[in-house]
Amino acid sequence: MRGWGRGRCSVLNGLPEIIPTFNSFLLQFEGKYDYDLLVIGGGSGGLACSKEAAQLGRKVAVLDYVEPSPKGTRWGLGGTCVNVGCIPKKLMHQAALLGTAVKDATKYGWDIPSPVRHDWATMAQAIQNHVKSLNWGHRVQLQDKKVTYLNLKGSFVDNHTIQGVSKTGKKTVLTAENIVIATGGRPKYPPQVPGAELGISSDDIFWFKDSPGKTLVVGGSYVGLECAGFLTGIGLNTSLMVRSIPLRGFDQQMAQLVTDHMVSHGTRLLWKCVPRSVERETSGRLHVTWSDQQSGRVEGDTFDTVMWAVGRTAETKELSLERAGVPVNPKTGKIIVGAGEESSVPNIYAIGDVTEGRPELTPTAIRAGKLLARRLCGQVTELMDYDKVPTTVFTPLEYGCVGLSEEKAVSSFGQDNIEVYHAYYKPLEFSVTERGANQCYIKMLCLREGDQRILGLHFIGPNAGEVIQGFALAIKCEATYSQLVATVGIHPTCAEDVNKLNITKRSRLDPTVTGC
Amino acid sequence: MVFVEINVQSLDSFNRALEENKGKAIFVYFTGTKDAKGLSWCPDCVKAEPIVRAELSKLPEGSIFIYCQTGDKSCWKDPNNVFRKSFKLSSIPTLLKYGTPQKLVEEELLNSELVQMLFTED
Ligand SMILES: Cc1cc2nc3c(=O)[nH]c(=O)nc-3n(C[C@H](O)[C@H](O)[C@H](O)COP(=O)(O)OP(=O)(O)OC[C@H]3O[C@@H](n4cnc5c(N)ncnc54)[C@H](O)[C@@H]3O)c2cc1C
Repeated sequence: MRGWGRGRCSVLNGLPEIIPTFNSFLLQFEGKYDYDLLVIGGGSGGLACSKEAAQLGRKVAVLDYVEPSPKGTRWGLGGTCVNVGCIPKKLMHQAALLGTAVKDATKYGWDIPSPVRHDWATMAQAIQNHVKSLNWGHRVQLQDKKVTYLNLKGSFVDNHTIQGVSKTGKKTVLTAENIVIATGGRPKYPPQVPGAELGISSDDIFWFKDSPGKTLVVGGSYVGLECAGFLTGIGLNTSLMVRSIPLRGFDQQMAQLVTDHMVSHGTRLLWKCVPRSVERETSGRLHVTWSDQQSGRVEGDTFDTVMWAVGRTAETKELSLERAGVPVNPKTGKIIVGAGEESSVPNIYAIGDVTEGRPELTPTAIRAGKLLARRLCGQVTELMDYDKVPTTVFTPLEYGCVGLSEEKAVSSFGQDNIEVYHAYYKPLEFSVTERGANQCYIKMLCLREGDQRILGLHFIGPNAGEVIQGFALAIKCEATYSQLVATVGIHPTCAEDVNKLNITKRSRLDPTVTGC
Repeated sequence: MVFVEINVQSLDSFNRALEENKGKAIFVYFTGTKDAKGLSWCPDCVKAEPIVRAELSKLPEGSIFIYCQTGDKSCWKDPNNVFRKSFKLSSIPTLLKYGTPQKLVEEELLNSELVQMLFTED
């Protein structure tokens, strides 16, 4: 299809185009590729990109193939977020929040038999059914929007040719004018821990039919914190092992508060510990040993389940990228892309978790995919804006943020040029239940000069995601501290405490909010 | 015929059909009840039926196709309609694969490729 190559204009790099194979050269000459666009990976980014391009009249195919986890867990169309990420995670977090609510309810007069017990199997079945209905929904949408769905594992033959392999090993060769890589990432296993293979990852936990029992979660990533948080919340004996710092890349004062709350909520935190080995006992349970780097001692305990949350690897190793000449960062395995998501090969693009330096979030992958499709179709020139992307960590007490961390604001602007407003507040609902609110905290970073443009906002408390989303718009629009305090709050809410921020760190005054 | 069609109009006969065909792949088409002359009050059902019927030959070997008439107009519009409640139906026509989340409703049933997908994929 002619006129489809416009997206190439956005490719600004000096790298030489690789010489296409004779086969694809001929095809290009005749303008006869099988597809205008072929997307490898049917997750958040790939589905969004393929549907958008098809709606703009292109002939599009998307390849999605789920390699089962080392434990044999497999799932349907939709990628990480739908099957083993955001969706089941948020629903299990909700299950845990309900447990707390049930306990609180007695203080509000509800007569609830105690102890309340949680049944994993019921929860898991309901969540898994929902995920399966989403898988089906994605299939229906692709069909509806005339995107060809191929349940094949794709790899490059050359820069216009993909080989797809089916579950039974059958090979199909497909050609396309443009190719988008959206293969995402998968959980890592620690390389130097004997017995590591006895553990599971986040790819498995959401598909457990029965309770994981007493669990050790290893890793201070948000995935580790969130999983340890909901497991604790539904009443399981849960330990979380963190080697160095929690929530790397996030504001560290906030990260500390989040983990402080987890401890008070019942998660056992094993700080500065490194796993040494995992062994299966005759009872079938797992004995784990670790070294405590602070005391220098070797410790151990027995668990029913060990879950690794020690990071994710980009899914690029099996794509034969070298055949198309697409370079990756050798350290991370991620694809290096420019502002238009272009790789150094003019007709090959990459979006989502597989790309270097991008946030690993569903909404960014979706937006990047849609915009890329529109640019490729010559509809717009707009690039994806990755600045001030809000996010939330769904720990038992949620943490939402947008913009710079305090560390980043200080290093970018200098301590003397930023003002930090902060407050320890107490959600009204907590007062009746006598729930501790020691970690309910808000911090806002502003420029010190003039109207004080807001650089970053951090919020720990109930419904942090819902709170931050609206402020993210304001901050994206370059809102200032003066504008924020001129906005009337909604009473009684937690979000109004953001509008009421008035104590600066510089003043050293007590930031605890009092009164109404 | 590789499949068996069963016509039902009551929850009892529906449940009996399910009971008798346990273990088989069961597809259910919920539609408005036809009058004595064989005419349906539900225009969307009238449009969808020939498209669904045209794909029946794609049903898997040994499967069951339950053709379920959910009531006349007033009966269907009643929020307590037994089929509405038992199968969480929001609209007719609805085609589903029993015991799975796979389901197509209204205009989706005008797309024969979608119907075929529901019949053929697990
Ligand atoms: C536990 C967990 C919780 C998360 N929670 C959140 C959250 O709350 N909010 C949020 O915004 N984000 C969250 N994320 C991140 C989010 O899931 C990802 O950022 C998002 O899914 C990335 O989308 P993607 O399109 O890049 O890749 P993916 O969604 O991972 O999709 C890639 C797809 O490509 C397939 N694939 C890989 N290789 C091939 C191949 N060779 N051929 C064919 N198909 C292939 C994969 O099987 C997969 O289906 C979470 C992630 C995890 C792990």
